[in-house]
Amino acid sequence: MSGNDLIGLRNANQKLDDGFAGIISRIQVPRGAGRMVLLLVITFAFFAIMNPRVFLNPVNLQNIGVAAPEIGLIGLAMMLAMLTGGIDLSIVAIANVSAITVSSLYTAISVGGGAQTAESLSGLIILAGVVMGALLGAVNGVLISVVGITPILTTLGTMQLFNGLALVWTGGLTISGAPSALQMIGKATVIGIPVLFLILLIVAVLLAMVVDRTPIGRKIQLQGANPVAARYSGISARRTLMLTYIISGLLGGIAGLVFLSRNPSASADYGSSYVLLAIVIAVLGGTNPNGGFATVTGVVLATLTLQVVSSGFTALRLSAYEYAIAQGVLLIAVMIFDQLRFRRRRRASPGSSSETVAIATVKRGKDGTRP
Amino acid sequence: MKILRRLRGANNEGVLLAVIIVVIVLMAFASPAFFTPGTFFSLARSSLVPLVFALGVLLVMISGGIDVSFPAIAIFAAYTTVEWSSEASFDPTIVGIFAIAIVIGALWGLLNGVVIARFRLPTLIVTLGTQGIIKGILLTYIGSTYISAAKLPDSVAQTGDAHLLDVPGAGYLHGMLVPVVMIVVVIWWMLKYTTFGRSIFAIGGDAEAARRVGIKVVRTQVILYVLVGALAAFGGVIFVILGKNANPQTLVGTELDIIAAVVLGGASIFGGRGSVFGTVLGVVLVQLINNNLVLVGVPSTWQRAAVGILLIVGVSIQALAAMRSRRQPVLVEEEVSKA
Repeated sequence: MSGNDLIGLRNANQKLDDGFAGIISRIQVPRGAGRMVLLLVITFAFFAIMNPRVFLNPVNLQNIGVAAPEIGLIGLAMMLAMLTGGIDLSIVAIANVSAITVSSLYTAISVGGGAQTAESLSGLIILAGVVMGALLGAVNGVLISVVGITPILTTLGTMQLFNGLALVWTGGLTISGAPSALQMIGKATVIGIPVLFLILLIVAVLLAMVVDRTPIGRKIQLQGANPVAARYSGISARRTLMLTYIISGLLGGIAGLVFLSRNPSASADYGSSYVLLAIVIAVLGGTNPNGGFATVTGVVLATLTLQVVSSGFTALRLSAYEYAIAQGVLLIAVMIFDQLRFRRRRRASPGSSSETVAIATVKRGKDGTRP
Repeated sequence: MKILRRLRGANNEGVLLAVIIVVIVLMAFASPAFFTPGTFFSLARSSLVPLVFALGVLLVMISGGIDVSFPAIAIFAAYTTVEWSSEASFDPTIVGIFAIAIVIGALWGLLNGVVIARFRLPTLIVTLGTQGIIKGILLTYIGSTYISAAKLPDSVAQTGDAHLLDVPGAGYLHGMLVPVVMIVVVIWWMLKYTTFGRSIFAIGGDAEAARRVGIKVVRTQVILYVLVGALAAFGGVIFVILGKNANPQTLVGTELDIIAAVVLGGASIFGGRGSVFGTVLGVVLVQLINNNLVLVGVPSTWQRAAVGILLIVGVSIQALAAMRSRRQPVLVEEEVSKA
């Protein structure tokens, strides 16, 4: 072997190493997202192998795409609130009020001025639904950032209030009627992909851009990661939290529209199990419930994973109750896994603090609500 | 001033009591049908189950956590016990029913406690997970059918008809009031006078400080969740007794309402603060509104909104008071930052 050959070999080796490092760094997506890709692939493969005829049926796959957006949007709203160290228990109530607003506005206008007028105004009516969501989010925002109530208590109260008002509005009944544009969106597909799913993706991309690329997104992250540091960096907690909950309400409003586009009726107690499901999705997607860390990608992937599990369970003729068990086990397993890894990393680094600090921080939450 | 402050109570119990009295007076003015023994008997009856659940929620909240799995534990324990008893045609008497259910509830509580204390996970999320697991197991493996009054074990059916006090034409006071009052007193005593009770407050106040003064945080937390599981099961059996049926689909979904009542009762969601008296008042106030809004001419659809408004107003007052008491140090801080 000559010297030249050796150098050539070394160079080739070097190139190979660099290439690998590049690939690995590209694969290393943020914590929540990376894990969720794996989980999604595993669950999908599992159900595809167990019952390929039913599960891989295009209709079934489309159903996943149609069912995912509403819980995905609510999960994103929950993620945003958790990013600041808060939580939004009122989000499903907001979605329902927004759906009820659109439905009753549409019905009122078509009774008063004919179906034609109602259809021609449907853009405005839909906008009213979204604005209603943002408005209710602003109510949360005021209570949290100005009055200074902890997010969990605020949204516990407003959940009851919004839900109660929706009950009063509808008289506890299911009201029907929705602009036909919404129903068309609910049924439409683009090259086989449901439009609703595309809407989820678009909203997710927009939200990701807001969180990662804009000053307000940075402020939201810092507010959740360390409210004291945020304050001393001149960030107004009041404005940040206000905006967070308005955006969260806005997402809820859009979710309400998705409810309507799937089924042209609205009621006060639609999706009552979604509050807890949204928390499950947010946490599975790698959101730190104490604030400061979350990824939109992770939440979208978590939504898809849960939807895959849900429809896979149906394909295997398992019940909704078994799906509930799976949800619970998945949630706790992921939390324990995270905690163990976190602790191992901590043990490796010197100067780890005492054992109960973790409990203290978990329990105290972030006192970021008071200006 | 001093007397006023004492009347107000450590957790605003006095304020709450005043609100209840005002509500009662207003309702009495609005409807002559309100001031009858029947109203108060049904108030007592409808408060029983929420009160037992609320005590469990209170204990967890004082320790700094939030439990949303208790309705699932309650209905799991009660339904499983009753179902087994009617399947096996064996009636272990009412004490036996309670005992079996409480053991089942305590076991689920143990799971909660071990996961929460051992792995130090957020309580809300862990109990959210166990809620799904418990409800799922109940409906998948134990049973999903409704057990009607005729199929209930005799002892349960009989206890359902046990009245403490019968007023002809006005209703009755249910016999289950006795064990519930006993439990209330026991929990009050435990929180006030036992080391365990004080440890719960200490952990909720500051877990690290509690550990340094020698409280075994993990062990206390595990015992706490076992106790709360047992309490939930106790409430679940009373729920079955009062309702005279066992429906596995019920209860789950009511957890946030109970938590709202406890918060209204002055317990701090951050832990370290809360009282049994306040919790009793919180539950009574919510039930008072739920039961009697219709009586004074407000449509029943307003119930939820009314409780929501009450809760928001209640916590707003607390938050504003907390902000005022903190104003002093904040001022100093601002002066420092100006200098």
